[in-house]
Amino acid sequence: MAENFERHSDISAADLARLTQEAQAEATPSTAKIIWSEFKADKPAMAALIIIVGFILFVMIGALFINTPKMMETNIMGYFNQPFTADYWLGADSAGRSVAKQLIVGSRNSIGIAIGLTVISSTFGICWGLISGYFNGYIDWGMQRIYDFMMMLPMTMMIIVLVTIIPHYNSVTLTFIFSIFYWEGTSRLIRSRTLAESEKDYVAASKASGTSHWKIIFREIMPNISSLIIVDCTLSFAENIGVETGLSYLGFGLPSQTPSLGTMIANANDPNNITQYWWTWLPAALEIIILCLSISYVGQVLRRAADASQRQGALD
Amino acid sequence: MSLIEIKDLKVHYPIRSGFWNRVTDSVRAVDGVSFNIEAGETYGLVGESGSGKSTTGKSVVGLEKVTSGSIMYKGLDITKAENRRKLDYNHDVQMIFQDSLSSLNPRKRIEDIIAEPLRNFEHLNKDDEKLRVLQLLNIVGLDADALYKYPHQFSGGQRQRIGVARAVATNPKLIIADEPVSALDLSVQAQVLNFMKKIQREFGISYLFISHDLGVVRHMCNNIAIMNRGRLVEIGTRDDIYNHPLHIYTKRLLAAIPETDVNAREAHRASRLAVEAVYREQQSKYYDEHGEAYPLVQVTPTHAVALPQNVAQQLARQEGEVQA
Repeated sequence: MAENFERHSDISAADLARLTQEAQAEATPSTAKIIWSEFKADKPAMAALIIIVGFILFVMIGALFINTPKMMETNIMGYFNQPFTADYWLGADSAGRSVAKQLIVGSRNSIGIAIGLTVISSTFGICWGLISGYFNGYIDWGMQRIYDFMMMLPMTMMIIVLVTIIPHYNSVTLTFIFSIFYWEGTSRLIRSRTLAESEKDYVAASKASGTSHWKIIFREIMPNISSLIIVDCTLSFAENIGVETGLSYLGFGLPSQTPSLGTMIANANDPNNITQYWWTWLPAALEIIILCLSISYVGQVLRRAADASQRQGALD
Repeated sequence: MSLIEIKDLKVHYPIRSGFWNRVTDSVRAVDGVSFNIEAGETYGLVGESGSGKSTTGKSVVGLEKVTSGSIMYKGLDITKAENRRKLDYNHDVQMIFQDSLSSLNPRKRIEDIIAEPLRNFEHLNKDDEKLRVLQLLNIVGLDADALYKYPHQFSGGQRQRIGVARAVATNPKLIIADEPVSALDLSVQAQVLNFMKKIQREFGISYLFISHDLGVVRHMCNNIAIMNRGRLVEIGTRDDIYNHPLHIYTKRLLAAIPETDVNAREAHRASRLAVEAVYREQQSKYYDEHGEAYPLVQVTPTHAVALPQNVAQQLARQEGEVQA
């Protein structure tokens, strides 16, 4: 069998190293290189990436040096302290707690929840959509009925009820509760593309080459819908920051002793705070706007890198 | 014994309708097809679009769910998935697709595409695998620098040759070529077909060559089956089909081959019109009351046609053939 190929081709083992080298010289650049050159071609996106990475690193590391219980203690001397003073860089709220410190710890909590929620719900939603769309038939039917049932549940109300029932919850349990309800949109989106993708000839070719179903789903089809997955993940990350923030704002998110971007924006519930004590809520609101905008910029670059016809980078 | 024996193959797709979404009828894409493929030969399967030839081909590779009938390979019926697994069936039977672009995964490098069947069936070590891929590229006339490129960086003819390389990778016994050149221009068609013939000589592969282009089929095939509306209407050797066609459908297909002889243009046109006139007038003679083809009857040892016995014999006499 192997001899058969040796006989009819003038390539032998001796040429292997040389030919590999030749091929590598002509190789198409790797995905990581393409993404990097896309970032270099788009300055605002590069700035957005630096903002996101820098900010996340800053709050993650910064929060380690802050003693949260002590920070959250009421300090009557700091009642609505003005910002830009030595003790309170960004002022203090009605309990005299430093807004700057709360912002750091709160960002850590909110971003942590958003990342956790995006990872869990997107992974689950992508797997659900891929499997449902690929196998089709009865499996698809069953999985879609479960999906329909989950869609039917009133999400916000269910979360509020769950949060009320569970006695001691923290950011980890909250992430899991959110994850139960946030995979559906992703799964339906992925399923529709998978349905179209699994009809294509390369899937038939893989089946004819003896590749297993799971390998076809995750190694053949998934890379082909990766641009959709990337865009969906970045958008849902931006959205998920809002999920926690929204619920905390309503008072059903994190407990009031755990600072988060939502509890800080909730300061704006009070008309007095809106007009006079703007420093209690404005930094958190600005932070969310800047973060979400930056994330969508980065998402656009990733999408362009995944789609050769939209690229702006110098590499071909 | 033949390499593959297809017996009474049927592929029907259900049509659902009504309030309860019940199966009310079926599309008979393939309706009782039987033929054998011998080792080392090229078997042509010809017919118009929608005649069921691709479905037949896909059933033979195991990509289509078969309604009834059997496909025997090494004494086992490979329409059942467990028999395909037991035999490592796709190690021996591979496929070349019509659309070279969509049949290559756009996100995979050429090395990974060609190595896919090798990884599933042969489990070579890394260097041997790369060497085999390089040899395959060399056999289909591509350079080694194709190794780490993506499918969209190649021309249509090159891509089809990559598809051929992938199909040949495990040294199979049969390759289903589903209109492998119909998407290519004429010069590239010849190039790919010659590569396929060269590979057949060197590796002793059989082809099931599916096409609607009788000119290409004549160049490639020893035995030919003509398919129409899900059934075979005529089976024979190349000589039987091209020089002594009996069924009106075969005659129409042959009349449709374009001729480049400008001086005889009027004569060709007249002969085409004559065939068409016969088809219009005598349709009832060639098809049964439901408009379907009759069962095949043997006219000579190699030649069979789907006509009632008496009509077939009468036509065969007219053609001056020896009776079976």
